[in-house]
Amino acid sequence: MSTLDIGAYSPREKGVVGLLGALGALLLIAVVTGFLAPAYLLYLVGLSAMYMLLSMGLNVQWGYGGMINFSVAAFFGLGAYGTALLTASGSPISGGVSPVIALFGGLALAAVLAVIIGYPTLKLRDDYLAIASLGLAEVVRIFILNESQWTAGSAGLTGIPLFFSDWPVLGDLTYPYVFYAGGTPVFNMSQSVITSFLNVVLVTVIVAAVYLFLRRIHQSPWGRVLRTIRTDEDLAETLGKNTFAFKMQAFVIGSLIMALAGVFYSHLVLFVSPQDLQPITTFYVWVAVILGGTGSDRGAMLGGFTIVAIQQGTRFLTDTGALPIGAAPLRLMLVGLLIIFIVRLRPEGILPPERELIWPDSLGGGRDE
Amino acid sequence: MAQILQYLANGLVFSSIIILGSIGLSLVYSIADFANFAHGDTMTLGAYGAFVAFGVFGGLGGTVLGLPIGFFLSLAVGMALAAVVAVLTHILVYKPLDTDSIGLLITSIGVAFVYRAVLQATFGTDFLQYDISRSGPIPVLLDTLDVAVTQRDVAIIVSAAVLVIGLHLLLQRTTLGRKMRATADNPDLARVSGIRTDRVILVMWVVGSALAAAGGVFLALYSQLDPRIGFNILLVVFAAVILGGIGSVYGAMLGGLLIGMLHELTPLLGDVGLPVSNAYAPAVAFVIMVAVLLVRPRGIAGDMT
Repeated sequence: MSTLDIGAYSPREKGVVGLLGALGALLLIAVVTGFLAPAYLLYLVGLSAMYMLLSMGLNVQWGYGGMINFSVAAFFGLGAYGTALLTASGSPISGGVSPVIALFGGLALAAVLAVIIGYPTLKLRDDYLAIASLGLAEVVRIFILNESQWTAGSAGLTGIPLFFSDWPVLGDLTYPYVFYAGGTPVFNMSQSVITSFLNVVLVTVIVAAVYLFLRRIHQSPWGRVLRTIRTDEDLAETLGKNTFAFKMQAFVIGSLIMALAGVFYSHLVLFVSPQDLQPITTFYVWVAVILGGTGSDRGAMLGGFTIVAIQQGTRFLTDTGALPIGAAPLRLMLVGLLIIFIVRLRPEGILPPERELIWPDSLGGGRDE
Repeated sequence: MAQILQYLANGLVFSSIIILGSIGLSLVYSIADFANFAHGDTMTLGAYGAFVAFGVFGGLGGTVLGLPIGFFLSLAVGMALAAVVAVLTHILVYKPLDTDSIGLLITSIGVAFVYRAVLQATFGTDFLQYDISRSGPIPVLLDTLDVAVTQRDVAIIVSAAVLVIGLHLLLQRTTLGRKMRATADNPDLARVSGIRTDRVILVMWVVGSALAAAGGVFLALYSQLDPRIGFNILLVVFAAVILGGIGSVYGAMLGGLLIGMLHELTPLLGDVGLPVSNAYAPAVAFVIMVAVLLVRPRGIAGDMT
């Protein structure tokens, strides 16, 4: 594939790859030296991938279509609550459904909400859309917080099974998994490492599939129309495009990806509460997208990773006791300053879309992709 | 009936707070042309400023409307603090930015986080109270109308009224006010006419933030103080501004009055059979806001300035 030609990458892209590689190596060393538990590292990888999904979902709406959606937390929450309510043993409505089926429950909830929120708000001016979607997301959170007969309210939902819990082989990996070589145990995987590893495999498959799907639709005529709408909606209208329909489609696709992230989150953390639906979740994802580069899926992935680095890094920093500030305000401060500095210094983000907007064929001298 | 009167009385207090918040938001919306998401946290900032000042001046002198004189002095300190911080933020953050209204909106979220982080780091997240003893309902009103209104409620309403009337006089009776109205209406035309709009914009930040701070202080007095009170109320304030019509100060006042009332009248929905508890009061405000945006995007007061 011509786009994977290393020579075509800009110094900044190589720098980012180098930095991520160095950080990855550092984390691996930390695991090998016993400084970091392997299960925790895998958990971090899963969490980063979850934020990557959220960022890619928002990127479809804001990056491709220019829609300011401040209800990310609501779609994430519906995905998470959808699957949790159907599968959890502590669920007040049913529970016990297989996660594979419940996945579609979460997605269906998000799709319905996307149409309900999108229909009235997508016709609004940019900043009105921002305020209205944030308001409607709060309605969803207030509903989940107060209708405890259906949602368990502020207590949150516990007893969510792992995603593979009812699968024939993967669901049975409940013992310490030991590899023997010549009668002596050489490799011992505890249950938590196995389940974390399965989670990482699952989310890697989801992220890869979503990434490829998005890259394909972004390059398609559909993506071109959407970019035109973002640049100049009146122009798209003049060209005979039903801009509302295009925006609605992008809104629903983005929301479904966010819900997918929510579903995965439920089966990763095994607990959801209305706390996860706070507006701060939405703003984290916004930081991820504008930091990575609006409109760029690779940027969205970098941004998702950065968010987890901030979230977990601040916890780590304050645990050492060297800082005179708590983890929560430090995190808030970092995110706030990050927003201000990105808009000031690099409004286009770290990895702005470049090749994404060009057909690969036109780059590689006529070679097929 | 007494129940409805009680709701209306509560509504008047809450409306006073919302009105103070919505005026500033509306001013910034019309002059700086962006939805300022840091406005709620400016309210919180003012409330904490007054809290610290009250520790110093709290013991001062007699009482007015059941509140110590020192409280009003602390209120002024909180308002001044918010004004200074807002002007500094404008000079350091917003002014050098070369971006559109959406970029400013996103930046203001960052500013809101920085404000809140500083407050959280300094004061923690526990609930605080101004150290003023609470008095019971005013006996006359309780006996004749069966409505429980405290002196503190009256103080909030009266103070808000004084501030709003002061703003009205400033806007209508002074040269500065005329310049402000001209700048809000059309900054380019105002600049061409020889108005130093840069200074007017600074004055608007001062006025808007000071009023927001007053709203924050009264909100903290009405309920309690924690680093999230301002942000929690921000969407309700936005609802008021949008209902009144963006950029119209008088519209914002009217919108604030209506949204504040509706917010406190939410329990009435339960009486007519809708299963909507008090917890849904903000939700009701948001739904009204979206409905207004759909039917009348310019708000009920339109462009009346």
